[in-house]
Amino acid sequence: MPETPMHLFKGTLDVLILKTLSWGPAHGYAVSRWIRQSSGDDLKIEEGALYPALRRLEEGGLVTAVWRRVPDTGREARVYSLTPEGRRALRMEVAAWQRYVDAFARVLETKPERALV
Amino acid sequence: MKLPGRGRDDDELPLSPDRQVDDDVRSELDFHIAERAAELEARGMAREQAMTEARALFGDRASIETECRTIEQRRRSTRGRSVRARALRQDITVGLRVLRRAPAFTLAAILTLAVGIGANATVFSIVNQAILQPLPYPDADRIVKVTERHARGWGNLPYPTFLDFERDARSFDAITAYQDGVGTVLVGNTGYRVHGAEVSSEFFRVFAVRPLMGRLPLPGEYAAGGGPVAVVSHAFWRDRLGAPASLTGVRVKLDRDVAVVGVMPAGFDYPAGSELWRPLDGADQSLSRTAHNLEAVGKLRAGISPQSAAGELTAMITRMSAQYAADFDATGGIVVRLQDTLVEGVRKPLFLLFAASAVLLLAACTNLASAQLARGTARGSEFAVRAALGASRLRLVRQLLTESTLLAMLGAGAGLLLARGLLALLRSIAPAGLHLERVHIDGWVAAFAFVVALGTALLFGLYPALRVSEATTSLALREGGRGTGGPSRMRVWHALVASEVALAAMLLVSSAVLVRSFVNVMQVDLGFNATDTRMAQVNLQSATYGDTTPATARFHEAVLARLRGAPGVTAVGFANRLPLEGGNPSGGMLVEGKPMAPNGVNTGNAIYRVVGGDYFAALGIPVLEGRTFLASDDRAAPPVAIVDAEFARLQWPGESAIGKRVKPAGMDGGIEPWHTVVGVVGGVRAGSITSPFIPTYYFDHRQRVSWRSQSVSYAVRGPNPTALDGTVQREIAAVDPQVPVEQGALSRIIRNAMAEQRFTMLLLGIFALLSLILAVVGIHAVVAYAVAQRTREIGVRLALGATPAQVRDMVVRHAMRGVVPGLVLGAVLSFVALRALRAWLSEVTGVDPIASAAAFLLLAVVGVAASVIPARRATRVDPIVAIRAE
Repeated sequence: MPETPMHLFKGTLDVLILKTLSWGPAHGYAVSRWIRQSSGDDLKIEEGALYPALRRLEEGGLVTAVWRRVPDTGREARVYSLTPEGRRALRMEVAAWQRYVDAFARVLETKPERALV
Repeated sequence: MKLPGRGRDDDELPLSPDRQVDDDVRSELDFHIAERAAELEARGMAREQAMTEARALFGDRASIETECRTIEQRRRSTRGRSVRARALRQDITVGLRVLRRAPAFTLAAILTLAVGIGANATVFSIVNQAILQPLPYPDADRIVKVTERHARGWGNLPYPTFLDFERDARSFDAITAYQDGVGTVLVGNTGYRVHGAEVSSEFFRVFAVRPLMGRLPLPGEYAAGGGPVAVVSHAFWRDRLGAPASLTGVRVKLDRDVAVVGVMPAGFDYPAGSELWRPLDGADQSLSRTAHNLEAVGKLRAGISPQSAAGELTAMITRMSAQYAADFDATGGIVVRLQDTLVEGVRKPLFLLFAASAVLLLAACTNLASAQLARGTARGSEFAVRAALGASRLRLVRQLLTESTLLAMLGAGAGLLLARGLLALLRSIAPAGLHLERVHIDGWVAAFAFVVALGTALLFGLYPALRVSEATTSLALREGGRGTGGPSRMRVWHALVASEVALAAMLLVSSAVLVRSFVNVMQVDLGFNATDTRMAQVNLQSATYGDTTPATARFHEAVLARLRGAPGVTAVGFANRLPLEGGNPSGGMLVEGKPMAPNGVNTGNAIYRVVGGDYFAALGIPVLEGRTFLASDDRAAPPVAIVDAEFARLQWPGESAIGKRVKPAGMDGGIEPWHTVVGVVGGVRAGSITSPFIPTYYFDHRQRVSWRSQSVSYAVRGPNPTALDGTVQREIAAVDPQVPVEQGALSRIIRNAMAEQRFTMLLLGIFALLSLILAVVGIHAVVAYAVAQRTREIGVRLALGATPAQVRDMVVRHAMRGVVPGLVLGAVLSFVALRALRAWLSEVTGVDPIASAAAFLLLAVVGVAASVIPARRATRVDPIVAIRAE
């Protein structure tokens, strides 16, 4: 499987998907579009990579999927929604991500008072 | 209460039907690309270009599609398993809850099953060990017993014939001859009675057994004269020798000093019970080809059948017959798998018991079917509600089957416990041939019990399950959950009750007839009287007494003299073998004035017993004519003999035996003097309690110059026999403290001789009793249920003026509609069973009307009693309560 060409950290895509679905059930294309638009097109994800990630989340019980008619197009789509387990996982992932970013930022922003050696 | 009709069952159904995996994945990806292209098109891109762009943005479609398919397939199979597991867990939980809620039913069902499975597991574990499991030797199916057919039947091999087989027969990898018996072994100054065997050189190769420590005898030690070495059993090494770490210098005394050179692994005990093996001394063996002295076993070459081996031996015997016509009586070789010979005697009783236990299990199934059916009906409303809530019929059937399986598993567990108890009980009375001490509940038996349990679960679980699920939807709801007792349902119950009664009748009648036959057998006149007599088996150690007859005779005369004068002793005597003790000493004889048999060496055959002291008085054998041996019949006196009635009748019909002359034939025939018959005594059963009288003649040990057996059995009679043991022990020790003595009641050998019959009888008796209990439980359960169902009707009848007696009669009459046809069917089945038994067991002489009638009467009484109890309960119904019960 080709790796996504952008610099997403491992598991980051999962968090983005879960976060997107936390706004409500959505099919794969809607998830993809939301991530693209809300990131201001900065995150260039190879769009197909979303689907194995979705299926894996489904297998892990974090999301469920049903085929449903979508109102705006009238076509059937595989619509994903978050399970309670998924919601819990999202909370933990976001918290962990936040800690990681904070720590990272502190290292980047802290200036030493004297030379390190 | 949570019903298993819906609820979590929803998880089984996807909210929309599952698409095929391929379609599911492809459609999803197609949807994405189409939507993406539409979006691009909306921004002003040309249609064709938009599609191409959308595909490019998507990435490697083929590999993504494959990956998604793999994940989806994995997910679905896992989900299927977990759904099924959850459904099963739920069935079991509900099943256990249901069983717990009806403890009376559950307990009765488990006990009923335990009886059926326990009886079967007991018999199966015995059959398994005796017949199904191979003997514990490598390639055991190739180990065979070799005997020869001769004019009087079949028998052991003469030594020279064996040597020819050993040298020339091509069918065997190895063949060996052996003699076994009890002898005295001195370890230091202590004498032990030891079962030992003298074996020819290939013996250990036949069984492919290696010594645990030390070595086997070397080829040279099998040469004539016999090497002074012995190999001992693990138990002998441990208990008698004190488990020495090295065998260097370990010696025991048999007829001479021998070195213990090897120890066999624990568990090796062929011939059965052997503790010591030493090389067979060819120099000691009779060279006559009519002396059937040696047992033989061989290991067939791979691919050779016993039949073809027997063919080869028969051809060899035919050639020998021409060559040694003067001293030859064999007509053919017999080769039988060793295992078959070992179970020969117990095969019939075992299969009989197996059949009986199968019938018992069938009765248990019938019981459970009716109980389940009754309960199923009572639970009709519960199932109706579940069905109405959408539980599928399959699901209801599965629930009932799960309950049955749970019951069966619990029953199997209880049954195995029961089997353990039964085996412990049987171990004490089983005939030796069964080797019950080796029988235990192993994996095979447990597997058997659980397979039977599962089969039973299906048998008694399926029919009620189907009936119930059928009835629920249509009837139960309409009838307000009262359940139904429609006429067809009642017919089924009557049929079940009838089967129970019929099966019980068959077991009871067959058992009663068999038990009575056995009792008759056991009451046969044995020709001797064992009450008040103790037996002491005495072994003189060869090391001290050797071949010197005078020393042996002196020992016995000294012991007899001391015991005769001992307090509490009224008569004492001994013989080389007591009747029924096994191994009857039989051989060729010469009767003066009679023509020689075709073999030219004797005039016939008889059992000969060498006796001492007041043998006939001690055993209570009547003297019919003449006298017994006197103190004056010693070595110097004219040789005398005593014959039994059968001997006298066959040799001298219509005239007195007194004054006729006889002597044993054989090697010593030339120098043996004629013995004059001085008395005739009553015949005794010698071989087994069912065998006919065999002609027997007796000699006084002082006059048998060539007799040198060191193993004899004393019989000591006195008014308080158990008190005699100490006396016997003391007096023998006073003569020679190294002589080991084994004591017991004389009746013990009779009990041993009857062991097989007693064993079969006891087990059959237990089975019959169990079947009776099952019949009672079954009839009671069905009648009680019927009464419960008719409470309202009974209440109405009582309200309308029916007397309690009328109600009771009605209920009992109702029950009899099952019991009476059952008795009739049972009579037919019993008749068939008894005919089969008679063709099969010589002990069964006929239908035995008394035993049969008694069994039927018992069953009828029990049937009525089982229905009267619930019937009496019916008369206590309060009409008001009963009618309001709706």
